[in-house]
Amino acid sequence: MFNRLVSALVVCGALWAIAGPATAETFRYPEDTRPTSLVPFFAEDMSAVRMVELVFDSLVVINKRGDVEGSLATSWKRDADNGGITFVLREGVTWHDGKPFTADDVVFTVEAAQDKKTIFNAKSKYRFIKEATSSGQFEVHFTFDRPINEPERRFLFKIIPKHGFSGTAITRKDKFARKPIGTGPYKVDDYKVRSISLNVNAEHWTKPKIEQVLMQHTPDKSAQISLLQYSGKEAGVQAVIFVPPKSIALFENSDQVVLEPYHTVSWWYMAYNHTNKALAEQPVREAIALAINREELLEAHLGRGDLLTGPFTESSPFYNFQVEAREPSVDRAKELLESAGWKESGGVRKKGKLKLDLKFVLDKELASNQALFLGIQAQLKKIGVTVRPEYVDHARYREQVFTKQGFDLTLNVWSFEEVEDVYPLFHSQGVMNFIGYNNADVDTLLDTAKSTRDYKKYKEFMKQLHSVLGTDLPYFFLWSLDVYSGINKSVRNVFITPYRYFTSFPEWELGR
Amino acid sequence: MNRAVRLLLAASRRIAGGLLLLVGASFVIYITIRSAPGDAIDAISPMGTPPEVKQQLLADFGLDRDPVTGYFAWLLRSAAGDFGDSLVIASGESVMTLVWPAFELTLMLSGLALLGALLIALAGGLVLGQGSVRSQVFTAPFYVITTAPSFVVAIILSHLVNITVQRFVEQAGYVTPSWYPIPIESGGSLMPYVFAAVTLIGGDGLLVDLFNTVRAEVVSLRESQFIQAIRAKGARTGSHIARNLVVPLVSAYASRLPIVLGGVVIVEYIFTLEGAGYLLLEASRERDFPVVVGISVLFTATIIVSGLIADLVRAIIDPREVARGG
Repeated sequence: MFNRLVSALVVCGALWAIAGPATAETFRYPEDTRPTSLVPFFAEDMSAVRMVELVFDSLVVINKRGDVEGSLATSWKRDADNGGITFVLREGVTWHDGKPFTADDVVFTVEAAQDKKTIFNAKSKYRFIKEATSSGQFEVHFTFDRPINEPERRFLFKIIPKHGFSGTAITRKDKFARKPIGTGPYKVDDYKVRSISLNVNAEHWTKPKIEQVLMQHTPDKSAQISLLQYSGKEAGVQAVIFVPPKSIALFENSDQVVLEPYHTVSWWYMAYNHTNKALAEQPVREAIALAINREELLEAHLGRGDLLTGPFTESSPFYNFQVEAREPSVDRAKELLESAGWKESGGVRKKGKLKLDLKFVLDKELASNQALFLGIQAQLKKIGVTVRPEYVDHARYREQVFTKQGFDLTLNVWSFEEVEDVYPLFHSQGVMNFIGYNNADVDTLLDTAKSTRDYKKYKEFMKQLHSVLGTDLPYFFLWSLDVYSGINKSVRNVFITPYRYFTSFPEWELGR
Repeated sequence: MNRAVRLLLAASRRIAGGLLLLVGASFVIYITIRSAPGDAIDAISPMGTPPEVKQQLLADFGLDRDPVTGYFAWLLRSAAGDFGDSLVIASGESVMTLVWPAFELTLMLSGLALLGALLIALAGGLVLGQGSVRSQVFTAPFYVITTAPSFVVAIILSHLVNITVQRFVEQAGYVTPSWYPIPIESGGSLMPYVFAAVTLIGGDGLLVDLFNTVRAEVVSLRESQFIQAIRAKGARTGSHIARNLVVPLVSAYASRLPIVLGGVVIVEYIFTLEGAGYLLLEASRERDFPVVVGISVLFTATIIVSGLIADLVRAIIDPREVARGG
């Protein structure tokens, strides 16, 4: 039956195949989510970050070796006291609409980012700039609010054109979001809700090799994998950004596809709501952490990765190797709860009026959320902690967890641009401290680290912080994943940049 | 009162009723969506955004009014064809500019799929209309295949086509078609629409449902006294059966449209078609409520209008409908 159907379709295919070949020299890739905005300030989801990387340039970039390299700037000079920096800009650069790029655009970008009416998540990244002034068309000087170590590393933000906006107050409604003009290696050719196609910017100094790029929104991961399985130079997609663990085996010995590992600077955590009196007790948090076998969960549901001991990944300069990993132990967890006065009754531990019966809120969009929850639920049951799941969609999750603190436990992932900035997460006044965490020692450490001018000292403070947080457990720090992209072998010279992914894309080639 | 005037009055009554129904439905849709937990501002504003800034964002997006007041403001604007602006999907762009081309595509796809299903059901009903053993043998596997949910049909069809084309290209050396593999963005090829239409026809039990309706009508007509009388006179019955089938077919078309519009939402998602169904799912996920309301109201209006058209056709063909006050 199946073979007959296939044969019938082969005949039909003969007619369809004549319909026309796919466009040559197009690099296609699918994304799980649509980029919500291509205004760099509002490019907050990873699909937007990747697309913005192709369309816009920054003053400097981080190269393959991890060093700072000029991009729109050709050179820079720090002020003697590290209280400012001067960038010399690349001459002869034009925006995608043909207008010349000048120092005014750089100054405008900073002014727009600092405008109170421009509201976006990463606004704090621009706060250190006290003043931006242009001297001539191709020189910009920045004055900082305090001396900064290696200040050029802070200029990775994208530059936007002054002539593309009516003023420095930029909103998400701005038409620029759908007709973006950058200086980057690719120009937006067609912007649809479901797909975005880019044409090469032949004027770009990096001389990009691939003529066209097509991003298509394909929310279903199995459809993405199918597109990669049937891929070739002129068919399917040439890359899948993230190959889920269960699909890795499909490509491990593939003739068509190579698995490229890359670093994401992101980690998973289980957050405790510290406004819950039971979870405000460190022994309870510790017992929960001891009862959960992370290695088992990781291997069963997410594949390969490293277990965490604190808020930094092993590749981070702030990672403290002295902090030892917590070995799971149900007995030790029970002892801790007993000695803290939590007695088991009817399958649930109680202390006075308090009960370890917890609401576990999960974002439906988080990978493997259901399987991970069930694993955690079963493990916690062994120590008399019951958890009730509440699966909510992404928009509701943000409201319920981040705004209203309507949870006891939750599972999530933090991604960072370059190195982990944990101040907003764990300082009692931190804007992303949604768990109500308040630890005077941690506040002091974070404040002291922030005010120091010495990078070595800063690193030491962060290592101390790693140790303190690893013990106090504001979150149960879970793991960072080994992430693989699936790339068709017709693509050559592939180097995947952490976080931004496409920084070295101009060097990528589509082979014959 | 002559027939034309009665027809006009009946049509006016139905149109007025349809408009009232649309206003009522739009109220329910608007209030339900506005009251859903989590809004676009939560989706786009940074964590820790001060309340006054959130309030400013709410005002910018027109979400600072209570849902009932907001609804009446929306109703006034939408009466003039302005459904507001998209909040997230294409922030700042008019909902109608965004939605209308997608809606046209969805309407065309649903309409053609339904028409195709109806024609297949008609052919099947006429050929196998006797309820014979032959009919049972032919229809049993057909029932099993076509009662699968449309997303299952879409997935099976995609795999089948991908495997076939792969063999074809690799073994026969043909040029790879632009729409291969499914669901690649095909750059305007018609083939994804064909696959989507085939899925809609073959999924969710639509074909079986239509086939049963048509076959029952055909059997009932063939056994009716007036057809028996025509046959006894030795005249051909085909044209009489066909004329009497129009009314039930039009009714079937109108009544099955909501089922197809429901199926199209998933099918567009699977076959990478930027139709209203795809937009509706994305807008719901991102809490872009003007887009959700706009598309939902357009879908509701389509169902109401198709019902109206079916009534009018019935009234024109069968005067007894008007006499009954239909």
